[in-house]
This record gives sequence, C-alpha cells and structure tokens, in this order.
Amino acid sequence: MIKSFTAFSLTLVLAAVGGPRNADAHAATLYQQIGGEPKMRAVVDDFTQIALADDRINFTFAETDMKVFSRLLFEQLCNITQGPCRYTGRSMLEAHKKLNITNAMFNALAEDLYAAFDREKVPYRLQNRVMVLLAPMQHDVVKVGAGPHSTIGPTASASAPAPDASPPSPQH
Amino acid sequence: MQGSRVRLRRFALRDRLISIAGSLLGSLLLFATVAHADGILGADEGKLLMTGAFSDISGSAGGGLVPMALITGYGSQNSWGANAHVTDVRLHDFNLLSYGLAAAAFDRLELSYAKQQFDVVGTALDGISIRQDVFGAKLKLLGDAVYNQNSWLPQLSVGTQYMRNEGIDDADHVGHAGLVSPTQLGARSDHGWDFYAAATKVFLGQSLLVNVVGRATRANQYGLLGFGGDLRNHYSFKPEASVAYLLLQQLAVGGDFRANPHNLSVDNQRSSFDLFVAWTPTKNLSLVGAYVNLGSILAPVTQVTRTQDGPYLSLQVGL
Repeated sequence: MIKSFTAFSLTLVLAAVGGPRNADAHAATLYQQIGGEPKMRAVVDDFTQIALADDRINFTFAETDMKVFSRLLFEQLCNITQGPCRYTGRSMLEAHKKLNITNAMFNALAEDLYAAFDREKVPYRLQNRVMVLLAPMQHDVVKVGAGPHSTIGPTASASAPAPDASPPSPQH
Repeated sequence: MQGSRVRLRRFALRDRLISIAGSLLGSLLLFATVAHADGILGADEGKLLMTGAFSDISGSAGGGLVPMALITGYGSQNSWGANAHVTDVRLHDFNLLSYGLAAAAFDRLELSYAKQQFDVVGTALDGISIRQDVFGAKLKLLGDAVYNQNSWLPQLSVGTQYMRNEGIDDADHVGHAGLVSPTQLGARSDHGWDFYAAATKVFLGQSLLVNVVGRATRANQYGLLGFGGDLRNHYSFKPEASVAYLLLQQLAVGGDFRANPHNLSVDNQRSSFDLFVAWTPTKNLSLVGAYVNLGSILAPVTQVTRTQDGPYLSLQVGL
C-alpha cells in the first residue's frame, strides 16, 4: 500500500515538475524570461488600466499619482525578478499602513496582475513565479482586522507603491 | 419482470434525486448571480480562483476522494462562502451519486452536508441501493496555502465527517430478503465518525498544489458498507494525498490517493485513487472530470473480483 502510494505520488510529482521547462531557465533571470523591460512596462500599463477599472480596489488609488505609481510598480517588479532595477518607493508596510487593505483586496489586485500578464501573453507558470515573490507581501500589505466596512476611499492619503516620501528601501 | 420493476423504481428515485440536486444547484446559481451583482449579505468572493477547492465525494472542500485544508467557497476572512455540488461516479457494477451543500464562515470554518446514493447496477446484487448522509465540519487552524511562498508552512486544518447509513433498499428483490442494513454484512455499526487533519500547500513557483491528509476511520467503503467489521473494529489511521498541476488559472490536472481500512470479510477493500481535470471558469462554477478506481467492491459476495473503475463527473456552483 505504502509502495503504491509512493509510486503514485512520485509519478504525479515527476509528471508535474518534469513538465514543459525553458531550456535556458537556469541562465536567464525571471525578468529576462518574461521579456525584459518592454514586456514588463506593458504589463504595468495594462495592470494600471485594469486596476483603475476594478471597483473592488480602484478607490484606494483616489489620491495616487498613477504616473508615479506605474514607475514604482515597474521598478518593484523589475527588481524582484532580478532585473537591473532599484526600487525607490517606500516599504510595502509603510506604503499600505493607512489603507486598511483586506485579504479580498489583496487578492483582487493579484487577479488584476494575472489579467495584465495574460493580456501580454506571459506564460502562466512565469506569472506564478512572479506571484511567489509577491505573495509573502500579504503580511505587510493586509491590515489585520481590516473588514469589508472599513472606510477607505477619498480620504485615503496614499496608495502603494507610494511616491518617494521616505528613504529608498535597500536593494536585495 | 420483478428485476425490471426494481430498476424502474430505482431510476425513478434517481431521477428525483437528480432533479432535486438540479433545482438546488439552479437556485444557488441564481442566488450567487444576485449576490455577486449586488454584493448583498456581504459575500465578497474575495479568495483567489481555485482556492475554494472542489467538493470531495463526502461533500468537504477538497477534490475527488480526498478533502483538503482549504475552506469551501470564495468568502475571504471577512466574509462567507458556499458551494453546492452534484457528483456522479459510474463504475462497472456500481454507481455513486453524491449531492449536497457546504458553507464557510470567515475562511475559517466549513460545514457541509452530502447525500450519497450507491446503486448496484451489475453482479447478482443488481438492483440493491444504499443511501447515506454525511455531515462534515472543518476548521482551519493555521497557515495559508498560497501566501507563505517564502516558507514551507502549509495551510493546516482539522475536520470530521459524521456518516449515517440509511440502510439497504430492494435486497428482497434479488434473493436477500431481510437484508436492510450494512450491519447484516458484518459491519458493527450503521453510523460513524471520521477524523482527519489536512495540510495543503500551493508551490506557486512550480505551479503545484500538494495536499496530505491523515484520517482516523472505521468506515467500510466510505461508510456505504457501515463502520467497523468482523475483521477489525478499531479506528485505522490512513494516509491520503492529492497533487495538482496548475496549467492555467482556471485549469488543473492531478490525482488523489486514499488508503482505506479492511474491516469486513465480505469486502476486500483496498486503496483507491483518481486522476482528474478540474476547470473553474469563474468563482461561481466549476467542473471536475476524473477517472476513479475504487478497487474491488463486495467481491467475496458477488464473486465479481474485477476492479471497479470508471468516470467521475462533478458540477459545482457557489460563491
């Protein structure tokens, strides 16, 4: 029984892990595999459009300079995917402190980013590898106890990534 | 003549069950649409696609034969979720129909109910059917299957399933007059509790979901043949596992494995498994198609020792 169980799990894991792989995956950074600067900038532009049209989260951008936001989001995505960029915005914790972000809002943003990657035809498994780097930020972004009835909106003073109001966070 | 009447009666019952399940699903789908449109009752559908999992054959969030640590539906920690399922499994000599409802509070607690109807459609026992109710409860203890990508910590839940076998119907028509309960087949009880702990982790970098379950159980064939038996009446501790490869946000392929106890001399139950394709076009709808293999069922009684395997199809609506 244990033997068949082991064989079964191994087969599935191998089938899954041994699936389609980029031959040069070991050499290229995730940033390069996605398509470098032009692709990443396109994703950020798409994302900004999608997020601003998304009623679940667009009110958090009410007082955000979207030009600055796009620049910082590009820097961040480029930086965490080992691209040649430096993130000059505030830390995730600092930037979201006053926003009462819920898990549902964090997930809505993730869905919008998936949608932006889809629009630019970035393969799903590469999208997930970016999400690996973003998912742990949930701890800093989501406010514990933030509920669906928290009053966010026009009075919110900042959005994230927020304009460079504090010293740049150190590079990885 | 008598056999065909039994069959007619059974199919009438089956049709009725399917129409009940259909209207159930229809009303929930309608409700889900309304709820989604107006956001009424605070249903936020705030979880990521697929993290509401699917319904396993016992009605708990999971898939196929195995529950997961994931909580049913798409309500985030500030909201609630729900799911209705109807699942049809066609084996060589047996069919299993399961339908039911599950509800979740705060992405923390899950309560579920499933009705199972198990029909014998081959062998000398053709015509017999067994019905069972399964009540489930699951509590997420800690972790999150998706967010903690920088650690190995999975989402961990504990759960229980209380199964109440309603007995055996129509055995008199196949020469087993008076056979009305699985206890007459050697089971010690017609109701029982399963207890399980489930750990589920999505390895996003590999687009892989891994789920491991430990279950304490006395159930024979998932409770359909009662609990405990002439060979063994103690709880057995059995492992289960699921692996899924996420092909797309809406599409996953994978398999489940479940080890089962062998308590009854009339049933050489062994481990079971399935291989599935799961499609979730929206948070309100999902479809799972699978190949399921339950091993032999009641072989010492029916003298039919072949593997009972076949297609599995499950439709789920929720929010």
